[in-house]
Amino acid sequence: MKLILSTSNIMSGGPSVIRRHTFEKSNTELTSSLRANFTAHRSSPPTPTTNGDAAATRPKPPFRSWTTQQENTLYIPTHTPSPLSEPRESYDITVKLFYLPNVPADTRCVQTREAIDLVLKELGTSSIDLLIVSFPGISFDADDDEESDLDDPPSAPDSLADDGDADGAPEDIDTIVTTWHTLERLHEEGLVSKLGISEFGCTRLEKFLPRTTVKPSVDQINVRDCCVVPKPLILYAKQQNIELLTHNDCTNVLPRGTLRDILGSEEKGMGVLAREKDEGERLRGEVQPQWVVKYTAVVKDRGVVESKGYFAVAELRE
Amino acid sequence: MGLLALGTPLEWPEAKKVASKVRSWGIEQLLAIWGNAKGKERAALLWGDEIEYLVVCYDDQNRKVRLSLRQADILAALANDEKLLQHGGGVPEVQRGSVKVGETAPVFHPEFGRFMLEATPGKPWGIGFKDLLDVEPNMKWRRTIAKDHMEATEYPITLTTFPRLGSPDCIAPTYPASGPKLRSQYVPDEIANPHIRFPTLAANIRWRRGRKVEINVPVFRDEKTQWPFKDPTVNYDLHQWPEDDDVRNGAAKDNHIYMDAMAFGMGSCCLQITFQAKNIQEGRTMYDQLSPLGPILLALTAATPIYKGFLADTDVRWNQISRAVDDRTPEELGEKPLQNDRWRLPKSRYASNSTYISQDPRLRREYLDPGLVVDEDIKQRLVEGGMDDLLATHFAHLFIRDPIVVFAEDLETLDLSKADHFENLQSTNWQHMRFKPPPPGTDMGWRVEFRPMEIQITDFENAAFSIFIVLITRAILSFNLNFYLPIQRVSENMETAHKRDALSAEKFWFRKHPFGSHSHSTGTSTPAEGSRPPTPVGPVEDEYELMTINEVINGQQSADGKDCFPGLIPLVESYLDSMNVDVETRCDLARYLDLIRKRADGTYWTAAKWIRHFVQTHPKYEKDSVVGDEITYDLIKATEQITREEGRDGLGKEMLGKRR
Repeated sequence: MKLILSTSNIMSGGPSVIRRHTFEKSNTELTSSLRANFTAHRSSPPTPTTNGDAAATRPKPPFRSWTTQQENTLYIPTHTPSPLSEPRESYDITVKLFYLPNVPADTRCVQTREAIDLVLKELGTSSIDLLIVSFPGISFDADDDEESDLDDPPSAPDSLADDGDADGAPEDIDTIVTTWHTLERLHEEGLVSKLGISEFGCTRLEKFLPRTTVKPSVDQINVRDCCVVPKPLILYAKQQNIELLTHNDCTNVLPRGTLRDILGSEEKGMGVLAREKDEGERLRGEVQPQWVVKYTAVVKDRGVVESKGYFAVAELRE
Repeated sequence: MGLLALGTPLEWPEAKKVASKVRSWGIEQLLAIWGNAKGKERAALLWGDEIEYLVVCYDDQNRKVRLSLRQADILAALANDEKLLQHGGGVPEVQRGSVKVGETAPVFHPEFGRFMLEATPGKPWGIGFKDLLDVEPNMKWRRTIAKDHMEATEYPITLTTFPRLGSPDCIAPTYPASGPKLRSQYVPDEIANPHIRFPTLAANIRWRRGRKVEINVPVFRDEKTQWPFKDPTVNYDLHQWPEDDDVRNGAAKDNHIYMDAMAFGMGSCCLQITFQAKNIQEGRTMYDQLSPLGPILLALTAATPIYKGFLADTDVRWNQISRAVDDRTPEELGEKPLQNDRWRLPKSRYASNSTYISQDPRLRREYLDPGLVVDEDIKQRLVEGGMDDLLATHFAHLFIRDPIVVFAEDLETLDLSKADHFENLQSTNWQHMRFKPPPPGTDMGWRVEFRPMEIQITDFENAAFSIFIVLITRAILSFNLNFYLPIQRVSENMETAHKRDALSAEKFWFRKHPFGSHSHSTGTSTPAEGSRPPTPVGPVEDEYELMTINEVINGQQSADGKDCFPGLIPLVESYLDSMNVDVETRCDLARYLDLIRKRADGTYWTAAKWIRHFVQTHPKYEKDSVVGDEITYDLIKATEQITREEGRDGLGKEMLGKRR
């Protein structure tokens, strides 16, 4: 079964969007806004007669009551699009697609289209301005301007430490190029105006650029202190007309263990996935996150973020 | 300073007779504007900053510094130069240095004090991050241009007040005090801009009030300060004007520095930011949400520890300006029973806000001031004219005041295509926020002015605070933040902000949870099925608590990391995380945010603290609270050096940190 998780618009969603540690990359925005959105959809309207205690002891409503299944796809929670309020040209729409580790690269063509479709439907629009992709296992290290082969340290406090969720080696350049050709087609079709990559240092850019038809306009890098970006990268990016943008997402934005925690039936879980001993209608099997997409719609001339959110897709296998 | 129309000003007794007429014509003009502009939509954010300078004049031989009264000459030089600028820009002075081709030249304006200058960018700023990075160079350019049109001995400094204003021999050229308009024992009438509006304003405030304005600032008690402190500069033997009796009637209070003229307040420099909103609703939201931030930013920018040659026990300018233009009569002040006047007025016309104006479901009735003084007739007229109750209340509150400067020529016919009578009242209500309707006949939108901040010594700091406020407004609108607090708590915070070292020693009322319930604030979408229950509404008192400035700016820390105020800087950082910002811009913005972060946590000092320290460690300081000529000379020189070097040479590093 395919699971489509969504956050809705997280801008007015409260504390989940506020990061505590300025230069720390993390996936807490994703995980806490997923939890917040699930919780909000799960809670039934308060009954006037109940007092606070009764609400606390009330059993969790069954997940079927706040999710929707269409054929073999489960929407968690039930999803209603929130189209943008102003004309399309008022906005800058940026989409960042995270390809995840341990997912076959040959599915990316389909995944990419699916991700874009979900975002376009959500925002009620037909094109996006900038699509940035993040490849598994690649993270930029400003200290030596070498792409680090190490993945992010365990970032989310609620992720399980070791459950065989290794992120594997950094994506090889051939796979990156193959994926890029998919993106170039989206660009040709006019679905996406500009393309971008994430966490590329000089070395990788030099290998990558000659093999592209549509060059990336953007390289998004995560640096603890953005004033220490290496000079060679700045110069090379200028020369190649690539804008260096900042971000603070981690590369493996949704480890399998984290997703299992969120959907599981333990105390902090949302009760979608069953425990081994559980009976009943809760789902069984192994979840494998496939990809995550983040979208942001900014009213250009006012600098106001009107909509921001995530979709995450996972496979559930018996 | 608002409009500078020319004409024949009425003396107070005459102005008083036409006050009602001016008010009612002003209200008709407001209704006309409102009718035309209430549906006005402006796509872009535009904003502007205002920098005010004191022009000082050095006398190096005698180690003395005075205020220069050459404002008119300097402005004339600038005006002539600007004409040349428009004719192709072939002006040698302006092409010196790092002037950028194609950039609109800054604009200079007169201010109340004849020793002051105001400079604004030639065209408003947008929200583009490149625009934000142009602010600081533009501020520096303004100062360079200003300096280029002054004499070699003059310099434009950005201190809020001149430390020895009102002391003997503190202005150049010299004029005798006790003129007919101000009747001050300390400053001459020539201290004010000679444009007839300004002396009339000062004279009519005094006249309406029935005595001179009365500014008593608590003096800082040092080891050798005589105690009780009786301001030694007060002359009890003057007999030139009836107002000379004021001090004999107890106007000068023990343990206070006494001042007696509008120039002591309106001669202060501040940093003001004006935003153009998307539409009237957004303007009203920004007005309300920025209001509780006012006292926080006042304390954070504190820069005013000296008055009339004495160390004060307060750190900011606000209340001194408030008292310097306080035109309330003894009846309005509550000193005499009400007989001739209409009401008791708890606040001066220069004071913290008393209203919220947004039609926002989050605005609870409990936040409003139950004792708000409102002209009910005016409110009724506004409501009849179609204005909603909340906004009508706001303007009917501003219109409880009398117009101070009235020109005879303007009373002949009511011109509904103008705003002069409306502005007469609007622009002499100096609150810490101002809600500004679009001027008729322009394409401007609804604007909001943020007015509490003190000017900072360097343009780096002034840019930092301006940009911080701009980013805060973007975070407010993006996250739909809620900073509502009962308006009386905001007023209390304004008082707290005055205390010496309030930044680190005091706590301020602030709302605990800036986020609303999980729902959409914008867009046309309908809430999802089974939408969330409305947040239960608890007692208002549970919504806010006392916080340090550090907690407000940098966030509260709690053991479980939950349920605490996130902090304005983290909110701005989170906003920036949602935007596409290039690394170099982010790095530059980080320098500004870092300054504010470290001011708030006490790592860096406020200017007030730095100036105090400078005085108290000066070899000529005798621990008696007196800031003499030589200390002032060295202080102003140091200020100029900090303006130029911005701490790079080590001077002022306590305020600015290690700058590159």
